Amino acid sequence: MNILGISAYYHDSAAAFVIDGVSVGAVQEERLLRHKNDATFPLGAIEWCLEHAGLELADLDAVVFYERSMRKFDRILTSALRTFPHSWRSFPEAIKNSLGEKVWARGIISSHLGGVPRSKILFTGHHHAHAAAAFLTAPTGRAAILTVDGVGEWSTLTVGHGERRPGGTAGLTLLREIRYPHSLGLLYSTFTAYLGFDVNEDEYKVMGLAAYGRPTLMDEVRKLIRRTTDGAFTLDMDYFEYQTTAARSYSRRFVELFGRPRNPYEPIDLESAEGRRFADCAASVQRVLEDTLVDIARALHQETGLSDLCLAGGVALNGVANARILAESGFERVFVPSAPGDAGCALGAALYADRVYLGNPDREVPDHPFWGPTVDAKELARAAREDDQTVEELDEAVLIERIADRLADGCIVGWMDGAAEFGPRALGHRSILAAPHAAEMRDRLNRDIKYREPFRPFAPVTPIETADRYFDLPPGGARLGRFMSGVFPVRPEWRSRLGAITHVDGSARLQTLERGMAPRLHALLEAYGRRSGMPVLLNTSFNVAGEPIVNRALEGYSTFRRCGMDVLVAGPTLVTKRARQQASPAKEAVA
Amino acid sequence: MWSDFDRRVRKLIAFSKVEGDGGRDILRAAELTPDPLLRRLYLEHAIDELRHADLFRHRGAALLQFRATNTTALFNTNPLPGGHGLDDLTIKGEPDYRLLAFLHVAEKAAAGRFEIYREVVDDDPATRAIFDEILRDEVFHMNYTYTQLARIRPQGYRRQVWQARASRLWKRYLRLAIVVASAISGMVLTLMYFVVLAPFAVLAKRAARREPGGWTPIAPPGSNSSTSLY
Repeated sequence: MNILGISAYYHDSAAAFVIDGVSVGAVQEERLLRHKNDATFPLGAIEWCLEHAGLELADLDAVVFYERSMRKFDRILTSALRTFPHSWRSFPEAIKNSLGEKVWARGIISSHLGGVPRSKILFTGHHHAHAAAAFLTAPTGRAAILTVDGVGEWSTLTVGHGERRPGGTAGLTLLREIRYPHSLGLLYSTFTAYLGFDVNEDEYKVMGLAAYGRPTLMDEVRKLIRRTTDGAFTLDMDYFEYQTTAARSYSRRFVELFGRPRNPYEPIDLESAEGRRFADCAASVQRVLEDTLVDIARALHQETGLSDLCLAGGVALNGVANARILAESGFERVFVPSAPGDAGCALGAALYADRVYLGNPDREVPDHPFWGPTVDAKELARAAREDDQTVEELDEAVLIERIADRLADGCIVGWMDGAAEFGPRALGHRSILAAPHAAEMRDRLNRDIKYREPFRPFAPVTPIETADRYFDLPPGGARLGRFMSGVFPVRPEWRSRLGAITHVDGSARLQTLERGMAPRLHALLEAYGRRSGMPVLLNTSFNVAGEPIVNRALEGYSTFRRCGMDVLVAGPTLVTKRARQQASPAKEAVA
Repeated sequence: MWSDFDRRVRKLIAFSKVEGDGGRDILRAAELTPDPLLRRLYLEHAIDELRHADLFRHRGAALLQFRATNTTALFNTNPLPGGHGLDDLTIKGEPDYRLLAFLHVAEKAAAGRFEIYREVVDDDPATRAIFDEILRDEVFHMNYTYTQLARIRPQGYRRQVWQARASRLWKRYLRLAIVVASAISGMVLTLMYFVVLAPFAVLAKRAARREPGGWTPIAPPGSNSSTSLY
């Protein structure tokens, strides 16, 4: 049975393909269109999925969209009515947005995918898709489920449970929800906007900034979010404007409480009182978010008595909160998929339709994130040779040793291997790798490669066998680190030797690598360990600020050419940058 | 426009976004072209555009630091639609000759505008210096696009340039039409909001007051839930 899952129209559109209950491919549209967070209908991703599977549109048994668009429209309209007359500015735009395209999901899918009968087009709830993406891809028989994001249709947070039954079927039940406008995701996003970052994109910057501050404003944040007697929460909407205008999410009262918002074009100076205030704001909202999530997860653990938790939704990208949930809620294992956000809903929707709507037997989904297009090393070799670069094609063992040498010499390596990751993290197939020891390497990467704020940390990757030696992992920590979903302390004795990946609070967003998941990177870590005594590398996504992670070899190559990377690897091909060999001679010749 | 501080900052930030988007579009062209020389030139061009974006952004930020202003009002103003990168240019599937013709025309037009802007920011030497630097790059961009167009399309390259001009005019008309249509529909919907929605708003507010806070049970899916949009 061939099922295509689609997410689109909000942010991070994607397509995923499931054949006979097992995912065979999934990719975000941004990776193909090269436009970050692209939200358009994912035609490119669908085309790639079909091509990858060797199928035609006529072969599809079902196409599943990741949310119910009329229910979402109901929320938009109801919200406008409830906030009348303050919503008059946002109303025309919201209606145009919805009626222009989004509500007609069935017709649009049908017209884009000419030939697919409308009866084959199915829908899941947004949070059901999140829940399925977490539970149906996790290696667990029974688990509690917690989904948390900004908003789906009406839900902003749901709890439930999933079960793989002895007969081979799987069940997934969401029990209750917290409804819009009360949203942990939107609370966090409001602070993201207030701190001058981009909403739906830069929330992780707030998390990074939080480590520099002290949670001195928690009482103020708690005025915004109040716990209810049944263990949920409500937001005091006097502090928010996202219901009434698309231009600003916080209100004048919010500004009175927290002070002047940050100008997005001014750097954050953590030495100044203003900079420290912003860091304290970030630390305070981060702590309140964590406390609330831990409370809800703890109650869910007590209610279900289950030892595993599947966590999804955009908020599940918050590794600090995830680690606290693991440590404090009572769950022994926490599973976060590689794409817990809306992109992952494409896969979740397809799996949900397969197991729940169509009642197909449960199948184990391979426990890795590599569902995207494969890199073509020959393409890289050809382009690099045409540009007179130094290109070598080496045997596997020689290549690994050579790269380990370069890394030990302080080189920065662009690393492309096999199929691209599905989700926002580079987990060893589209990564920039570097030595993790000196803080100067972090500064160099921020300045010359990633062009990003100096306060943002870099993540480490280490083999699962040695992770515990360098990082203080709680039970279940290695699992949470599989897709880089948890932030854990670096052991104090190693912090000075892991300066590039140790955040200011002594933590790191660790990836624990199993050999079977990415064997080449595992081999490289071992080879590097033989040189440095520590099989740990700095691993950051292969992109520069404002761009999606690279997909094809040529995209890696063009990134390599225009930033301060030293070495580029794809398959057996190794390209070394010559000193200042930019294309300026061509420029001079033409000009 | 340049004499007004807020509009000057807004313009610089908007330029930064357009140059950045344009740079990424040209980068895409570099990644897709089969022609090695064009790949090198596109890459140079993209690096220039991304650097221009940085120059504009830093200058806008510097002006903001120079004089404290109500930044919230400044950045909450939505720019007019259109203008994502190079006029919503589609790179994939576009042959190089058409792209080169388009880039040539766009760069020429941009150079003309920047020359005017350079003259009117006489009172602001730092901004003027940015325009000076960018104009030097524009000469390279205009030249290489034209020479490369002539190389890969020796017959009919002039016609391509004329077609690119016509296409830009058409896109400008479409953009204007969208702005007008959007304004009209906005007015109609605003009118509807106040006239039609008011009584329903009273009912909705009353219902909202009755809604308990906290958890809401989720009903089990109905028999038609797989096909329901609601």
